[in-house]
Amino acid sequence: MSGRLPPAFAELEPFVGYWAAATTAGRAAARDRAGPAECARFFAAGFPRVQEALDYLDAKGFAQFDAADERLMALVLGLVHAGLAADVQGPDEPRHALTRPDMKLQVSPADVAPAL
Amino acid sequence: MNAHVQSFRPPAKDELAWLGTRPIPTQPYYDPAWYADEIEAIFKRSWLQIGHVCELPQPDSYIVRELEFASVSLLIIRGADGEVRAMHNVCTHRGTQLVDTRSGTAQKFSCRYHRWTFTNDGKLLGAPDFEQFNLEKAACAIPRVHCQVIAGLIFVNLTKGPVEDLRSWLGDMAAQLEETPVVGATHLTEYTYDINSNWKLTYDNFQENYHLRFIHSRTAGAGVGESNPFGYPRAYGFYGPHRTQAIWMNFDASFTPLQQLGMARSARVLAERGIDPVGSCAYLALFPTMFLFASSQQPFSHTVYPLGPTRSRGVIRLYWHGADANPSERFAREFSGMLLRDVHSEDRSVIEAGQRGLSSGALDHIHFQTQESLCRHLFNEVEARVLALRAQRDGGRA
Repeated sequence: MSGRLPPAFAELEPFVGYWAAATTAGRAAARDRAGPAECARFFAAGFPRVQEALDYLDAKGFAQFDAADERLMALVLGLVHAGLAADVQGPDEPRHALTRPDMKLQVSPADVAPAL
Repeated sequence: MNAHVQSFRPPAKDELAWLGTRPIPTQPYYDPAWYADEIEAIFKRSWLQIGHVCELPQPDSYIVRELEFASVSLLIIRGADGEVRAMHNVCTHRGTQLVDTRSGTAQKFSCRYHRWTFTNDGKLLGAPDFEQFNLEKAACAIPRVHCQVIAGLIFVNLTKGPVEDLRSWLGDMAAQLEETPVVGATHLTEYTYDINSNWKLTYDNFQENYHLRFIHSRTAGAGVGESNPFGYPRAYGFYGPHRTQAIWMNFDASFTPLQQLGMARSARVLAERGIDPVGSCAYLALFPTMFLFASSQQPFSHTVYPLGPTRSRGVIRLYWHGADANPSERFAREFSGMLLRDVHSEDRSVIEAGQRGLSSGALDHIHFQTQESLCRHLFNEVEARVLALRAQRDGGRA
């Protein structure tokens, strides 16, 4: 039985339950619900590990993913959304969040069923 | 300061004077009668881009497209012969819509009302107790709609009777489309938005860069810079009712850590696919309401559909070659799509504020400056068609 995340990334496990949503729309909704402070907390914890996480996942490849790898992939994608709030929009995020949910996600190439 | 920064000059006023300089009347942005004439003169007579062949990956694949402005539902099908066809989503017995799913695969369609069944190229295959009708099956085919494909983009034209060939309609734009990354795309990112604004007002926002530094202060990226603070294009092109701009890029722009990572991973995976990550960046606007921003990292189309005099819908699609090959590519595509969504969310907010001002009737006119010439060109093209329709109608009454 694998852990929630691959062992090298265990420190990020507290964020899995909320941020490792299975679809792009789910991750976008997580950003909307979280608010700026929670996005910033996740981004601060996760961004320093993201290069390493992507390199680890690239080396493994989708075909070899186990459930923990799937969760790490979804978490890294969640970091894109949190990062757009914390790193790109910054102080504009509260105003930005008022209308962004009206941009409805319909299709995403990342929307494959993970084995979470 | 770099030499290329110092040398930038936007297109000059006198180059674009042929488009006119008059103020633009506001009534066409909210008047129901004007809107109704636009639908008749433009949307029911023009080629409209409504999909991409990657949505029809195999024979017998179909998609459904609702064209609310015409109260039309279309079935777009790839036949067993590989051809892409369009027909009305309607049973020829009593008019019932045949298909209520968004997409699928089917060799035939059966109406749930009385089980009339059609082949997927529209022929009536059978109907229960058909002998009770005084009809020949051959006379019961589903009405076809003009449908052609260029650069993988599917276009339809609602005109009844003959129409100008799509390639002829597009003119020089056809070859330009065929040079863009939409050709050969296999996967999409898509998001949509409904907006309380006239379709021209919505579309015009994406035809000028004057607003970039104000509305996209955190997301404009390489779109603006010291020498070109408004991010004006290097040149404009006009091709009949269609138009282009040559996008200016700030190669000295600074980016946040997330943006740097997203762009770096994107550049890496594009290089792995043999695609130049910088490459060219075509902006092609097809009359009436679709434009393609064909950068390597973020190739997308944006189509604005009219829904009413002061309502419209935007459909944004990013085009990808192949499924996500590896986690870095998945990350890069998620980043590109969601950053673009942030940008368009910022646009949507201010466009609605514009419509509220126009609909108030406070202004008789609005103004386009030289670097909003693509907006002026669209208005000129729309106005000419509406006035021609009205003249034709008035002439018929005389």
